[in-house]
Amino acid sequence: MRPHSSLKQEFLKKWIMGLQRCSFSKKNMSILERRKTIKFSADIAMASARNGTTCWSRALISNASKDGSNNHHLVKQMLGPESNRPTVAANIAPTRRALVCKKIVKQSRRIRRRRRKCVATSSIAKHLVRKRTQILKSLIPGGELMKIRLIEETLDYIASLIVQVDVMRSLARASEP
Amino acid sequence: MESNPGTTETRSNLTASDGGQVTAFESLQFTDEIHRLILAPTTINASSFTALVELPPPQAVELLHSPDSTKFIAAKPPNVEDFKGSFRFPSNTSLIEPDARFSVFSGEANNGNENRDSPVSKILNSNLEKAVKSEPAETESAQPLVSDPPVEKRRIKRKGRENKVKGSTKKSKTAVNESSEDAEKLPYVHVRARRGQATDSHSLAERARREKINARMKFLQELVPGCNKISGTALVLDEIINHVQSLQRQVEFLSMRLAAVNPRIDFNLDSVFTSESGSLMDSNFPGLVMPVMWPEVQGDGHRQQYQHQWNSDALQQPVWGREVHNNYITPEKSLLTYDSSANSVTLQANQLKMEL
Repeated sequence: MRPHSSLKQEFLKKWIMGLQRCSFSKKNMSILERRKTIKFSADIAMASARNGTTCWSRALISNASKDGSNNHHLVKQMLGPESNRPTVAANIAPTRRALVCKKIVKQSRRIRRRRRKCVATSSIAKHLVRKRTQILKSLIPGGELMKIRLIEETLDYIASLIVQVDVMRSLARASEP
Repeated sequence: MESNPGTTETRSNLTASDGGQVTAFESLQFTDEIHRLILAPTTINASSFTALVELPPPQAVELLHSPDSTKFIAAKPPNVEDFKGSFRFPSNTSLIEPDARFSVFSGEANNGNENRDSPVSKILNSNLEKAVKSEPAETESAQPLVSDPPVEKRRIKRKGRENKVKGSTKKSKTAVNESSEDAEKLPYVHVRARRGQATDSHSLAERARREKINARMKFLQELVPGCNKISGTALVLDEIINHVQSLQRQVEFLSMRLAAVNPRIDFNLDSVFTSESGSLMDSNFPGLVMPVMWPEVQGDGHRQQYQHQWNSDALQQPVWGREVHNNYITPEKSLLTYDSSANSVTLQANQLKMEL
């Protein structure tokens, strides 16, 4: 098994803190609301366990703490005391993004020129891969923003999801007699 | 998950050296580890998560626990430099060569690298990434060149390539490609062309980038179960997408299951813990809850039954620390056994207060 134990502990700690701070005082929460709150607090806990080192975690937190969303207050409660809540914009250096975009435009132009000489199979393969990366981007929070570190972020996100699933599964198994 | 003594020694050396020492010796050991995909150990919190994935458990635990708290706390907050450092990771991988030439080259490079900025290199070395300098002449003030040893090892499989990658190298395909040109920071990358291959700078750069992506895909293959036998980027991406989707669905399903566990759990949690929220929201949480739990268990045979169940559950999860399980799960479960009688709730609250 992978050595996720410290990450699990951290996630669990933050998750329980989040659950306690969430508006669970209403006894009349429907089961759907509760499920949403549980999942939401788990996501926030997992993202905050990364402490802003990964893009997907920042995107997750920033999406959750948008003023228009319903759970804005929950995020504030969970992460409120910490003034260093990461924002997505802060971590993608705008200068780098601009440079990356310029490079991509330049290279796409060059590719288009060369594509006519390319073998059909390679272009088909590229097309397939591009499709799949688009799908992957849609799955990962904040995936649209990162063109460059997609695979790294995916790996980290998968690891976090595995930790989350393990913690929740053991909690569920322990709580059901 | 393989490890060999050379790498172990490397890793232990890396963990020991905290002062931004570039692993010069590591490059020399690459010649011995051509066929190993050994990830550099790193803390979980570092951006090179791939290290923890492939690390054998004992070494990983050692690495995780020895530097984890200190490095996690001591590491600088994510700033642009940090990202630049790890961002540069893909571009440097082409530098690794097992040749004698390369070892000399990287020897120079590493010697030059050791004079880099300590703070940034400290962060990067906390990731235990190898720094390889592309141009000995060039002195980087801000960003040491780093790359993962496993990726480098993969490169060692090819014979020895040096290529000059300029900032605007050709982008071969999708957006998945790492832009090896952090051109704004990266110096030239020297790769020698292989036998029988085009020496066109564009194709060489393209090949370098493709190799980087393939290296990453290998990491992903090892993380996603069942991906080892699949070849081809598109199919591996398919598997990854399926895995991510299945994990997300599992999270939703489990959260629904937890929500359906017991409506009273929320009430009890809230009533008991919000009263002690100030003191409980720290690392003493398990310690506080633990002593609370035991007196309750003794008083009630039914609760004892639960306790045994939870213990057996904890035993079945070898990865998860048992004490953690007990500390965190049992208070909630003991609350489950409580009727929402004011007596038991206030009893627990009083016990918590006493502990404080």
